[in-house]
Amino acid sequence: MIKGAFTRQWKKMIMIALTVALGTSLATAMLNVMMDVSDKVNQELKTYGANITVVPKSASVMDSLYEIENGADDGAYLKESELGNIKTIFWAFNIVDFAPFIDTKATVSADSGEKEITLVGTWFDHHLELPTGETLNTGVRSLRTWWDISEGDWLSEQTYTGTEKPCMVGEGIAKTLSVKSGDIITVSTTHGSERLYVAGIFSSGDTADDEIYASLDTVQALSDKDGLLSSIEVSALTTPDNELAIKAAKDPGSLTIAQYETWYCTAYVSSICYQIQEVITDSVASPVRQVADSEGAILEKTHLLMVLITILSLVGSALGITNLVTASVMERSSEIGLLKAIGAKNGAVSALVLTEVMITGIVGAVIGYFAGFGFAQIIGQTVFGSSIEMKLFVIPIVAVLVIAVVLAGSLPAIRMLLRLRPAEVLHGR
Amino acid sequence: MTKQKMFLRMITASLIRRRSRMIVALLAISVGAAILSGLVTIYYDVPRQMGAQFRNYGANMILVSSGDGKDFDVTAMNEAVSHISPESFLGATPYRYETVRIHDQPVVTAGTDIKSAGITSPYWHIEGAWPAEGEALVGKTEAEHLGLKTGSSFTMSYADESNEKEPVERDMVVSGILETGGSEEDYIYIEMSDLESIAGSGDLDVAELSISASQEELTAAADSITSADNGVSARLVKRVTQSESTVLTKLQALVFIVTAVVLVLTMICVATTMTAVVTERRKEIGLRKSLGASDRSIIVEFMGEGLLLGCIGGLAGALLGFVFAEFVSVNVFSSSIRFQPLLLPVTMIVSVAVTGLACLMPVRSAIDIDPALVLKGE
Repeated sequence: MIKGAFTRQWKKMIMIALTVALGTSLATAMLNVMMDVSDKVNQELKTYGANITVVPKSASVMDSLYEIENGADDGAYLKESELGNIKTIFWAFNIVDFAPFIDTKATVSADSGEKEITLVGTWFDHHLELPTGETLNTGVRSLRTWWDISEGDWLSEQTYTGTEKPCMVGEGIAKTLSVKSGDIITVSTTHGSERLYVAGIFSSGDTADDEIYASLDTVQALSDKDGLLSSIEVSALTTPDNELAIKAAKDPGSLTIAQYETWYCTAYVSSICYQIQEVITDSVASPVRQVADSEGAILEKTHLLMVLITILSLVGSALGITNLVTASVMERSSEIGLLKAIGAKNGAVSALVLTEVMITGIVGAVIGYFAGFGFAQIIGQTVFGSSIEMKLFVIPIVAVLVIAVVLAGSLPAIRMLLRLRPAEVLHGR
Repeated sequence: MTKQKMFLRMITASLIRRRSRMIVALLAISVGAAILSGLVTIYYDVPRQMGAQFRNYGANMILVSSGDGKDFDVTAMNEAVSHISPESFLGATPYRYETVRIHDQPVVTAGTDIKSAGITSPYWHIEGAWPAEGEALVGKTEAEHLGLKTGSSFTMSYADESNEKEPVERDMVVSGILETGGSEEDYIYIEMSDLESIAGSGDLDVAELSISASQEELTAAADSITSADNGVSARLVKRVTQSESTVLTKLQALVFIVTAVVLVLTMICVATTMTAVVTERRKEIGLRKSLGASDRSIIVEFMGEGLLLGCIGGLAGALLGFVFAEFVSVNVFSSSIRFQPLLLPVTMIVSVAVTGLACLMPVRSAIDIDPALVLKGE
């Protein structure tokens, strides 16, 4: 009989299946996007730059406070050889980018004059081979997304082939000394001097406009600090702080063992800082509050917004499905009347109708799930330019939802059908 | 009884007699309209509401002296602020940096307006309390360096660069330790009046402004401040403004696409429901035709019914949607949403159009059929 219903009434069944598919695809798309939106937005927020800075434990503030020439030679430094360790911590996967820095005072001379400046050594897009065998490219190029390259191009250590060492010059210096990209400038410190090729001029809107950025080894040689770093900037994907994270940030020792494990195994900014301190000798890693706090707030709001929109669309699709199932079941009053007239019991009639609707619903749901996954991908590609991850636990949620909704839609209709008097229906009233 | 009256009567009677079925259709239309008005309202309000969240990143414009000899003081700062529309302006904080001596060590101290510093730098973590007059906020690094703790007191002395006068001294109390993870940790922050009491009056070094506006508006405001030529030039903090516009554009695009997908699917749901409701009444159409009704009069009646449903559903849905948008806004951003009056007629027109279209197709196919066949039940 059920087979018959499907072959003979295929038009109506397709209608039900189509509605269920539409509703399911909406639910699937929204749930998938909702689950993934935090990760995506978190990636976008990385344009704000590093959210963790690592400095030596007894960081000498002499340099900025007393403005002593040539920096503070007696200060403490981090070791360049330990940099790769950052990618070996528990949350290594969450470390998006990092770059080491070393700076020194220097005199720059171009054709049109001389100037005292800060020379910063760093990685631009350094190719790094990790002890684990992995490789990655990292550097300031992805940590300074707000830099405008007004002339020339980003410096790349990997593709640069010239004989002179390359550098990038801040707009402020470029203006006063009228330096252009492609020029050769000479920088000198008390430890020597070097001719540098200007690969590009950048405008940053902050103090970096009055600095020159060169590759790490150039500046280390010029300041006689081979293998030493003054700071590291790290950009990491983090979870917004909660009470546990705040408590732990003050003193990890105050946590119970269970709390400590939860904290250590969650990507809080404080636990990532703590893990970086574990792998870099004599270092202090601290969150850049300006970035870390704001990220947390924005992530939370976006997530909540998506949850509410998802709930609205779930309610919408549920109502749509219920409506149509009710409408199409009720259409079949004369058929049910006939069944009852030839002696079908209420239970048998309900079972028949329910089975039919359920089979149609399940077929619709499966089609809808894949269609919805497609919708989620469209959203992901258009908005974030990357695909949305397939979350397996969306399947049970959608399945429960569809079954509940289809049942809810058929029940009132079935109740009405059961109340029908066969004689009246067959008579056409 | 006039023709119009009869028409109205037929429509309302059909709606009332087939109550349960009509409620189903009405519900579908209302939910569709609610989704439309709710999501579009949210879409329009997201940049404003999210923009406020982005102000957590701190100042997005700074004022510096243009270097033409004119005074850059608090008055000049306030004059510059008057170029910014008051709705988007959140706060302006003046900073004046001087090197003072504490325990005979030089320390950079900033005189500022502590109250507005809290607005323009919401990311400052303070252990202790914000300083009042005679109190100081000490950066974490500096506090460790000088061995200062919350509640401890110290003497600040300021000597003129020329060293002609005797140093002026003043006792201060540490009200709190400042933690930011940035260079602010190297400084001491005190009220501007306290700094002036030892260092005399002087020009500001920089003023930080926090403005909730789009990149274009910010650029325009900066240009108008700089061109006013009052000794102040405005610069955008690129790191904040550029990143903010990137992320905001993405977020708005996200809400837009989600709205579009949800809307299309909801419209189809509404249309299928309406189609099902009309298809059911093929028998009625057949009967009417056999009684001599013209095709036109049948279409007009069914459409009238559909449009009435669309109107009521659209109105109810639009209001429901605003309630939803308000609920979202209050829960997510804890502020009220901006009502878009234009959206009410738009929602109604769209829902009337969708129901109208959804009715038209099945009615059309129904009247094409021979009444005898329909009545016979074939």
